[in-house]
Amino acid sequence: MSASRKGPAWLEPLSHLVLLAAVAFALYPVLWVVSLALDGVQRPVARAIPWPDSPSLDNFRAILFARGSSGEWLFVRQLTNSIVISAATALTAIGIATPAAYALARFPDFVGAKGGTKALLATQMFPGVASAVPLYMLLDKLRLLDTRSGLVLVYATTAVPFAIFQLRGAFETIPKDLEEAAMVDGATRFQAFIKVVLPAARPALAVTALFAFMSAWNEFILAATFLSRESAFTLPVALQRHVGEFDAAWGKFAAGSIIVSVPVMALFYALQKNLVGGLTSGGVKG
Amino acid sequence: MNARALRWTLAARARLALALLSWLVLIVCAGEAQAQRTITVWHPYRGAEQRAFDQVLRAFERDRPGVSVQTLAVPFDAYAAKLEAAIPRGNGPDLFVDAHERIPSYLARRIIVSAESAIAAVPRTSDGLDLEPIALEAVQANGERYGVPLSLKCLALFVDEELWERAGRPSLDSLASIAAARTSLPTGAYPLVYYASNAYFHSAILHGLGGQLFDPQRGAYAFEGPAALESLALVQRLLADRVIPPEVDGASVTPYFRSGRAMTVISGPWLVGELGDARRYRVAVLPRVREGGRAMSPFVTVEVAFLASNAHAPGLAAELATFLASPEAARLRASVGRQVVATRSVWSEAELANDPVLAAFRRAANAGRVMPTHNNMRLSWEPANQAIRRALRDPQATRVAVEQGRRRYDDASRPLPAKRSALPLQLTLGALALALAFRSVQRARDPEFRAAVKRSVPAYAYVTHAVVIVALLVVLPLVLGATTSLYAGRDGALEYVGGANYWDIITARGGSLFASGTFYTVLLVTVLWTIANLTLHVSIGVVLAIILSRPLLKLRAIYRVLLIIPWAVPSYVTALAWKGMFHRQTGAMNAILAALGVEPISWFAQFSTAFTANVVTNTWLGFPFMMVVTIGALAAIPKDLYEAAEVDGATPWQQFRHITLPLLRPTLLPAVSMGAVWTFNQFNVIFLVSGGEPDGATEILVTEAYRWAFTRQAQYGYAAAYAVLIFGVLVLGTRLLERLTLGKQGGGK
Amino acid sequence: MATLSLRSIRKVLGANAILKGIDLDVQSGAFVVLVGPSGCGKSTLLRTIAGLETPDEGSIKLDDKDVTRAEPRERDIAMVFQSYALYPHLTVRDNLAFGLRLRGESESKIKARVDEVSQMLGLGALLDRLPKDMSGGQRQRVAMGRAIARRPKLFLFDEPLSNLDAALRNQVRIEIKKLHASLGATMIYVTHDQVEAMTLADQLVVLNSGKVEQKGPPLEVYARPASKFVAGFLGSPSMNFTDAVVSDDSTSAVATGLRAPIDRQRFGALERGRKVIVGIRPHDVTVRKGESSAHGYRDGAAPTEIIVSVEVVEAMGFEAYAHGPVGGAPFVARVEATADALPRRGDKLALSVEPAHVHLFDPESGRSLEGAS
Repeated sequence: MSASRKGPAWLEPLSHLVLLAAVAFALYPVLWVVSLALDGVQRPVARAIPWPDSPSLDNFRAILFARGSSGEWLFVRQLTNSIVISAATALTAIGIATPAAYALARFPDFVGAKGGTKALLATQMFPGVASAVPLYMLLDKLRLLDTRSGLVLVYATTAVPFAIFQLRGAFETIPKDLEEAAMVDGATRFQAFIKVVLPAARPALAVTALFAFMSAWNEFILAATFLSRESAFTLPVALQRHVGEFDAAWGKFAAGSIIVSVPVMALFYALQKNLVGGLTSGGVKG
Repeated sequence: MNARALRWTLAARARLALALLSWLVLIVCAGEAQAQRTITVWHPYRGAEQRAFDQVLRAFERDRPGVSVQTLAVPFDAYAAKLEAAIPRGNGPDLFVDAHERIPSYLARRIIVSAESAIAAVPRTSDGLDLEPIALEAVQANGERYGVPLSLKCLALFVDEELWERAGRPSLDSLASIAAARTSLPTGAYPLVYYASNAYFHSAILHGLGGQLFDPQRGAYAFEGPAALESLALVQRLLADRVIPPEVDGASVTPYFRSGRAMTVISGPWLVGELGDARRYRVAVLPRVREGGRAMSPFVTVEVAFLASNAHAPGLAAELATFLASPEAARLRASVGRQVVATRSVWSEAELANDPVLAAFRRAANAGRVMPTHNNMRLSWEPANQAIRRALRDPQATRVAVEQGRRRYDDASRPLPAKRSALPLQLTLGALALALAFRSVQRARDPEFRAAVKRSVPAYAYVTHAVVIVALLVVLPLVLGATTSLYAGRDGALEYVGGANYWDIITARGGSLFASGTFYTVLLVTVLWTIANLTLHVSIGVVLAIILSRPLLKLRAIYRVLLIIPWAVPSYVTALAWKGMFHRQTGAMNAILAALGVEPISWFAQFSTAFTANVVTNTWLGFPFMMVVTIGALAAIPKDLYEAAEVDGATPWQQFRHITLPLLRPTLLPAVSMGAVWTFNQFNVIFLVSGGEPDGATEILVTEAYRWAFTRQAQYGYAAAYAVLIFGVLVLGTRLLERLTLGKQGGGK
Repeated sequence: MATLSLRSIRKVLGANAILKGIDLDVQSGAFVVLVGPSGCGKSTLLRTIAGLETPDEGSIKLDDKDVTRAEPRERDIAMVFQSYALYPHLTVRDNLAFGLRLRGESESKIKARVDEVSQMLGLGALLDRLPKDMSGGQRQRVAMGRAIARRPKLFLFDEPLSNLDAALRNQVRIEIKKLHASLGATMIYVTHDQVEAMTLADQLVVLNSGKVEQKGPPLEVYARPASKFVAGFLGSPSMNFTDAVVSDDSTSAVATGLRAPIDRQRFGALERGRKVIVGIRPHDVTVRKGESSAHGYRDGAAPTEIIVSVEVVEAMGFEAYAHGPVGGAPFVARVEATADALPRRGDKLALSVEPAHVHLFDPESGRSLEGAS
C-alpha cells in the first residue's frame, strides 16, 4: 500500500495489537510442546501458562541417546533414514515434475495437455484412502516394499502432481526470450532448458523441493505401516511410538517433536524469501 | 482384543497398518534364506519382554549345536497383516507369538497348524499338563489345540500403599465411602482412576454383574439388557459420587498414579514398567462390584506360540514351542520379562510365589474370563465404546445409547450384499474400450489432428516419462481403488456386487437419510467444516497480510517469521498438541477458562465444542499459507492505484473494497479452491483432535471412509465407494465454485 | 559476413496469416532495417530468419545454404532481444562466453574474445556483475556484446533500443552504426521507430500487414514513397494527405484551399478530374511572406498554393508547426520559429510547395501514381 496512506495515528498501535494477538495464537501450542519437553514429571492438572515445573533435558537425552536392541545408536540411524528418504523424495519429485511442468508451460497447446492437466487435477481430489491399498499391491509387484526406495515412490505419488502444478506456474513467469537467446547462441532446446531455464527457476525449484521434502519428513502413517525394524524407522515413526493410548510419554514425544521440527523449520526459514514468489507464481490453477 | 492390543499407539497407525501391510515384508524375509538348521521366529515383544525372549532363544540354541534361531520383532500394529501376507507365500516364520483370540482368523487363512504334537511333549504333572487349564482352554478350536500357551494378560488393581494404609484390598463400596468422606484424600486425588469409557475396562464390571459384551455361543453382540444398564448406572454413580474422575483416558491413568492422586487404579501389566519406584504400591485382584457381590472379572488374553503352516523347519518349530513352555524358559520369561507365565510348575518355586506383583496378576487372570475368539468379537468394540461414552456423558440417554450401540453393531456386521455376475461390467467396459478405439482411429485419420500431434512432438519429449510414472503410481492405483467400490467383503476377501455399495450409502441402508452417521449428515458436516475453515483462513490471512504490508510497520520481519511457525511445524505434532490442550482435566484451554472464572468444558462431549476444537486447530494450521499468498498478491498491486484512488477521494475502506479485494481475487481464487479441496479431505486434524467425537458426529467424509476401510473389518469396497462419492462431490463442488466466481468476475467488469 | 535470401516466406498462426509471401535479399555486409507498425510481421520475420519460427512455405538461404528447417544453433547467427534476455544466473563474463562455451571453444580463446568484446563496448568494470545489478543501458551493451563475441555470420536485432530512455537511445544508435562499420558484419535490425530506421539502414524494408511495402536505401524510400502507407510512416510529423482532383489543365491537383502543382516528369499526364490523394510533407512547404498576415490575407491576390487557417501552433524552438484544416483534412506546416514570424491562432497562412515535393497516391490502392500513366 502506498506510503502516503499512513492512516490515523491509532492505526499503528492497533496493528501491533492484532499482530501480537496472532503471534500469541501461533506460539501458544508451540510453547506448550516446549514446556512439555522440558518438564521432568507430568501432572494431571491443567495449567494456562506453559512453563515446566522441574525443567530438565532428560526427555531430549532419552530421545537422542536411545540404543536399539543390538546396541546401534537409534537416533542417528533414524535421522539418516529421514534425511535420505526426504531428500530422495524431493529429488524424485523435482526430477519427474520439472520437464513435464516445462512442457506444460512452454507448449500449452500440445495434444493431450488439457486433458492431462485436468486428470492430474482430478487425482488431487481423490481421497488417498482408496488408492493406498492398490498402490501397495503395485509396489509389491515391483518388489519395492519395505525398502527406502518403495517409500520414496509412495511419497512421490503426492509430491509429483503438486510439484508439476507449482513448477508450471514458475516456468510460465520465465521469459521465453531467455531460452530463445540460448538457442540462437547455439544451444539445443534441451540445453537451453538445462543451462538457462532451470537456473533461472532456482527459487521456485527450491520452494517446491522444500514442500516435497517437508511432506516426506513429516509423514508417519505410511512409514509406520511400512517399516518394521526400529533401525529402519524414520524420525516421525520413532517419535509417535512414544504416544500410546495407555502409556503416553508426552514429554518424550514433545522432545522428539522439537528435534524433528527444527531442521524443517530451519529449511523453511532459509527459503522464506522465495516462499512468497514461489507460491504466487505457482498459482495452482486448472 | 489382546492386552497389548490396547497399546496400539496413535490410532492412526494401527488400522491402516493392519490393512496395508498385507502385502509387505517379503523382501526382508526373502533375503534371509533358510539354512537347514535355521528357524525363524516372529514376536511382538519390546523392552524387558524382548530381552527375556532373546535369552530363552539363546538357551534353546545352546542345547542344540548347529541350530540357529532368527528373530524379527514386529510392531504390533502390523503384525497380523504381515503374517497373513508372508506365510502363504513361504516367506513367513516357522513359529510366531500372538494372542489366542486370533485363532479363528488365522485358521480361516490357514496360516497355523495344530500344535497337539508340541503340547504332547510338554511335561505332565500329577494333575495333567504343566500348563494353566484356562490357557489350554483358550487355544482350543474345532476339537484341537492350536498353539502352546505361554502367558496370561489381564487387568488388575494397583493400590497406592501411601494413600491406602489399611491391609486387604478395597472394594468399590469402601472406595465410595472414602469419596464421600473426602477427608483421607489429598486434594485433587480420587479413590479410583481407570479408563471408564473404554469397553475393555468396562467389561470387567459388566462381567461382575453377570453381563457380557459378546456372546460367543450365539456369536452375537450382547451389550444390552439389564446387566448392561446396571453396569452403566454403576459407573454413572461412581462418577457422580466423585469416586472416579471424569473423562480419564488410557494415557492419563499413569500420571494420576505417579503423582499420588489416585488411591487405586485399574490397569494392566504395562503399568509396572512405567511406575518404576515412583510410589509404594501393591497389585491385587479387581474389587467386588458390591459388598458380598461378585468380583469384577477382566478379560484374559493368552499369549500363544503358534506353529506356522508352510514352515521350513516344522519339527524344530514344534520343539521350540515346547521349549518355550518349559519351566526353564518360563522362569526366564517371568523373572526377566515379568510375564504371568502359563507354566504351572514354576509358580511353586519360591522366587515366583513370593513375587507380589506377578502372583497378583496370576490370581487376577484366574478370576478373569477368557476373551472370546469369535470373529465378530472385534466388531463389538467400537459400538460398545461409543455406547459407554455416550451413557457416561449423558446418563439420561443411557437406554438410547445402548440401543444405538446395538444398531451400530448391526450396521457394521450387516450381511454383505449378494454376489453378482461381473458380466454386465465387463461388457460395458468392453464396449467402452471399443468405442474409444474407434474414436482414436477416426481422429488419427483427421489431417488437422495429425498436424497437431506432429507439432506436439517436442513437448512429448518432456512429458512422456512423467506421464508413465504418474499413470503407474497415481492413476492406476486410483482406478483400481475406484473399481474396488464395486466389490464387497470383509478382511480383504472381495466379491463383485455391482452398485450395491453405492446403493447402500445413498439410501442410508434403508434408514432415515439424515440420521447420525449417514452419508448426507456427514456430507453436511464436511461442507460446514470446509466453509468454516476457509472463511477463517482467508479472513485471518488477508487481515494479517494487509497489516504486515503496511509501509511503515515496525518489527515486520519478526512478526512474519513468528506467524509462519504453524506452517513449519509438522501438522501431526501440533494436532496432538492441540488435542492435549482441549483435554478436560489437563488441557490449557480449560485452565484459561478457569482463570477467567468459566466452568471447564468437556470439549469432545458435544458436537458444537468438538467441532470448534477441530476448527480452531485447523485454522491455526492453515492461516499462514493464506497470509503468505496474500502478501505476495498485495506486493503485486501497483501503488499508483491507491494514489489515484486517494486523489479521487476514496476512503481507506473504499480503497480496500474497490482496489485491494478485486485485485487480490485472481491470486486468491486458485489458493482458495485448492485450500477447499485440502480442507475437504483434511484427515489428520479430525482424526487426531476429535477423532470423530462425540459419537462420530464430527466425522467428515474422508475419516468416515477411513473407518469403513480400517476399523470396521476392512470393508474396502464400501470405503472405496465412499471415496468415489467424495471425488464426485469435490468435482461437482469445484465446478460450481468456478461457475460462480467466473460469473462474478464477468459481472464485476 | 554472409548473404541471406528469403523466397516467398509464408507463416500462418491459427487463423491469421502473419507473413504473406516475403522476398528479400540481403547483401553481405549490409545493414538492413525491417520497419513497420506493430503487428506488421517484422518480428516474426526476424524470428523466422533466426530459426525460432519455421515458415509454412518458402525458403531461407544463408550463404547459399538452405536453412529453412535448420535449428537456430545450426545457422550461426546472433540475436539481440528487446528484453536483452541476459541469463540472470550468469555474470556478464559468463553471459558473453555462453555461446562460445556451447560451441566448445577453448578457454583461452573464450577469454581472448571476452576481453576483446568488453574492451570494445567498455564492459571491463562490469564483467563480474550479475544482470540484476546493472542499469538498462549496461544490460543492453552486454546483450550486444554477447552477440558480438560469437562472431556470427549474421546479426539480428529485435527492437534493441526500445527499453532505453531517449538520450541513451540516440547514443547507442550511433554506437551500433559504428559497430557495423568496424565489424563489417551483415546485420538485420527490426524497429518500429522510423528515426532508427532512417539513420541506421543501408537498406530499408517497410513491412505492412505481412507484406513488403517498399524496400530500398532509406533516403530514396523517404523521397519516393511507393505508397501512402510508406509515405505516412516515414517522417515526423508525418506527411499531410488531402483528397483532391486533377485540375482541368492537368497541371495541378486541387481541393478547397489547395492547389498542388503536378510534376509531369514523375506522374505523366494525369486524366483531368481524376481523384487523387495529395501528399505533402510538413517540411516541404514555405510560407509566402507577403501574402500571409496576422489579420488575414488578401483574397484573390497572387496564386497561393495552400491556405491554412491556423488553429494550433507548436513551437519547438528551432522550428514550429502550424496546424489547421486543408481540404477537409488536418494539415501541418513547418514554419520559422522566430518570435515575430510565428503565426497565431486565427491567422491565414499562405504556403507554397515545389512540384518535386508533391506526392500523388491512388485513393483506392494507396499506391504512388509515380510513373503510373
